[in-house]
Amino acid sequence: MIDSSVLEMSLPLATAGEIAVMNLESSRQQSWSRLLQSPERPGVAEYIVEQEQMALQFLSDAAALDRLDALVEHLARSDADAVRVTLIRAQVLSTEHHFSPARALLQKTESWGAHSEAADRLLLSIDQACGNNLDFVMEARGRLAAKSGRLEDLVPLGSLLADLREFDEADRVYQQAFTNYQDVSPFALAWVCFQLGALWGELVAEPQPHRAAKWYEQAIAYVPDYVKARVHLSEIYLEDERFDDAEALLLPALSSGDPEVDWRLADVMIAQGKTLEGGAYLETAARGFEALLAKHLLAFADHGAEFYAGSGDNPDRALELASVNLANRSTLRAFEQTYDVAIDAGQSEAASDILAAARLRWGATHAFSLSPLAEMQF
Amino acid sequence: MSDHVDGPRSIGDPSIDMTDLFAFTSPENPGRTVLIADVFPSAGVSAMFSNVVNHAIVVRRIEVAGLGEAAKFKPGDQEYRFNCKFSALERGADGSKPTQRGTCTLPGGQELSFVVGDEKGASTPDGTFRIFAGLRSDPFYLAWLVAILKKFPNLLQNDNVLSIVIEFDTQKVLDPAKGSLFGVIAETSAIPQPRGLIGHEPPRFDWVGRPEQTNMRLNNPAMEHADDVRDLWNQMTPFALAEEFRPLFQKRLIDSLTNWDMRDGKADWTAADLNAAVNVYLDDFILFDVSKPITDTSYFEIEKATLHGKPYQTGGGRTVNANVIDIMLTWMVNNDREFLQGGATQATKPGTNTFPYLASPNTQIQTAVESVDLAASPDKVWALIGDFGGAWQPLIANITTVGTGVGQIRTVETIDGKRIVERLDAMDSSQRSYSYSMLSGIQATDYVGTLNVSPKGSGSAVEWKVQYWADGQPDIIVKTVVTTLLKTSLESLTKRFGAAK
Repeated sequence: MIDSSVLEMSLPLATAGEIAVMNLESSRQQSWSRLLQSPERPGVAEYIVEQEQMALQFLSDAAALDRLDALVEHLARSDADAVRVTLIRAQVLSTEHHFSPARALLQKTESWGAHSEAADRLLLSIDQACGNNLDFVMEARGRLAAKSGRLEDLVPLGSLLADLREFDEADRVYQQAFTNYQDVSPFALAWVCFQLGALWGELVAEPQPHRAAKWYEQAIAYVPDYVKARVHLSEIYLEDERFDDAEALLLPALSSGDPEVDWRLADVMIAQGKTLEGGAYLETAARGFEALLAKHLLAFADHGAEFYAGSGDNPDRALELASVNLANRSTLRAFEQTYDVAIDAGQSEAASDILAAARLRWGATHAFSLSPLAEMQF
Repeated sequence: MSDHVDGPRSIGDPSIDMTDLFAFTSPENPGRTVLIADVFPSAGVSAMFSNVVNHAIVVRRIEVAGLGEAAKFKPGDQEYRFNCKFSALERGADGSKPTQRGTCTLPGGQELSFVVGDEKGASTPDGTFRIFAGLRSDPFYLAWLVAILKKFPNLLQNDNVLSIVIEFDTQKVLDPAKGSLFGVIAETSAIPQPRGLIGHEPPRFDWVGRPEQTNMRLNNPAMEHADDVRDLWNQMTPFALAEEFRPLFQKRLIDSLTNWDMRDGKADWTAADLNAAVNVYLDDFILFDVSKPITDTSYFEIEKATLHGKPYQTGGGRTVNANVIDIMLTWMVNNDREFLQGGATQATKPGTNTFPYLASPNTQIQTAVESVDLAASPDKVWALIGDFGGAWQPLIANITTVGTGVGQIRTVETIDGKRIVERLDAMDSSQRSYSYSMLSGIQATDYVGTLNVSPKGSGSAVEWKVQYWADGQPDIIVKTVVTTLLKTSLESLTKRFGAAK
């Protein structure tokens, strides 16, 4: 494995994040303008989906989901080609974690004889997000990555390897994504950095927070407005009692409206004994989560569960949300989360049932043998 | 599009995607040549250039090295390179709009600095060179669905691009006495950096010569199952196509031009003529002769005349208003038998006769949408707000109407003294919906509003949508006015009917 410090010295140059975000936002608005003027223009709706997904991923702009819903409604009223509209609807549903309806729509386009590479890729993403057919997904991801060598094919492969607890291999694939990158968009590079931060800070059995912090810092260096990177890095700073640094990291992200920012700010305040301010941020976070969950339950159920299992201090709500997420996608990580919150909620019988279901679903896999659940007894 | 989004890889950072290249004589001064390179297809109104990329326009002297079936344009070795780099953003102390600066290294090494968006541009002290860079209305127009060769409105209507405009004294810079025929390309390439263990920069991200080399000839949209070779083409060195790749691109161009020839069901090209045209296309640069007139119709005349074995009569080049797509399609599809006119005859805004020769950027259509869920039934809500002349909105002091039904005019006086005049355009009481347009009172054009009441659960949902172009006021001011009007009105309905549970 290449030493991470060497990597960080020589990461690719990219367009300044401030310029890239400005270009994304103004280009996104321009795309909407183009769509409203000429709904029949080829490719515009598809481009809007990509841009809104980027706004959601990097800027935590949850209104992107509302805009995507509006896009689908707009297309439904237009004369756009039915296959094209169906594929876009499937993309939007998948972004909102409505995986089963998205899959059904893809099957519908297939039944119309409209097979496409875009549909295949979306189906792969859905299977990966749901933990289904992972042998097939792994084979397909490996094939796509080997064929193109592109970052956009390597990162999902790395993510799948991480899901399967093949951490060193995932790290190698992420590094290859840097090596092969032939563009200057900071978003793609920030994405890889974030994945590496999550890999070493959260996914491995023995987290290496300082190694993770370097990657999150690099992600923010690429895209200063990368809200999730700020949130994850602030957790590490908080652990290190670097309260001022954590606060400085979070305050500029407050305007995103992402309730995780309020939540982590609350933690920072409470850790410093500022319980009044912390309480206010917690209330805002809870309101924010509930507003998101009311509109897009599946998309935010796991995040909401994490909040209520933590500072949100509502174990029953946490279990409810974790269960929603688990029912929607029975990944090993979803089982682990639901089991943990069931224990915290004092629901030992439910925890036992979850463990049994996890063993049934994942027990025969290598990933399960590395999971904390493998150690648990009924 | 001319070279817009011409490869899967360029979907990364759109600001490095080269879209177009122009070469013409200045309409202001026949002694000066203008070169324009555009990047960033469909750029938004606050688009900026990448700060880690070289944007270059490169000119070489060209020799006609063969005529007819042996037509050949041979580039010389000497390059006239204009290399532009851009800074990161500079924020004003008062939070004003950020500034971006640029520097262009001119042939000979002299540097010229400029501010992005400054319409006056910047000039060298002796006036030899002048430069502008910034957002402009996209001068390109493509009015065909090219896969099926069907006329269509301009696919780039209201689009903007980031442009780099370089104007210079032709005699001083190009020394036409040594030969007046030139070829020009534009490219975006990586600024070299120490990369250690991590990869290597591509020699260039994108480059453009003649319009549509990539999106219509190498990647003919009608050849669905052909491999996409655009990224490979973008890696080729301009003016020096690698011999090992020449057969691959030659085969693709022959297949593609054969396909184009048969789009109207008639074969207008002999194999020999088509091969000769392919060989010309393989040397991909825009030809321009500074000693001859360059007009809106002279694009590609140099190549055509040479392929016909005759001396060319014009300066070729490509002006901002040249209808290059129709010129090109006519030649490829029917070998100039019958002119193919697409569905538009000009770009959104034609080019201008004064520096920087490209029209000001287009503004964006704005949309304000507000909605509210109410406890009351749709019919009950519609009974109140379905009357176009009804006075139910809290910000309205008075409302008067003229006429009835579609065409009815209402004059709204707001509580802060504004007078807004609107006309009813459509009314559908069965669907509880009406639409109207604003005639005066708000600084916006094409202002269209739609009010709709629909059932939702045991109550109803009201959606009010307004679309418009801001006209004379910053978009944000108009948007604030409109959004406040909509929001306040709908909030009043919640008080009146109660919010949906």
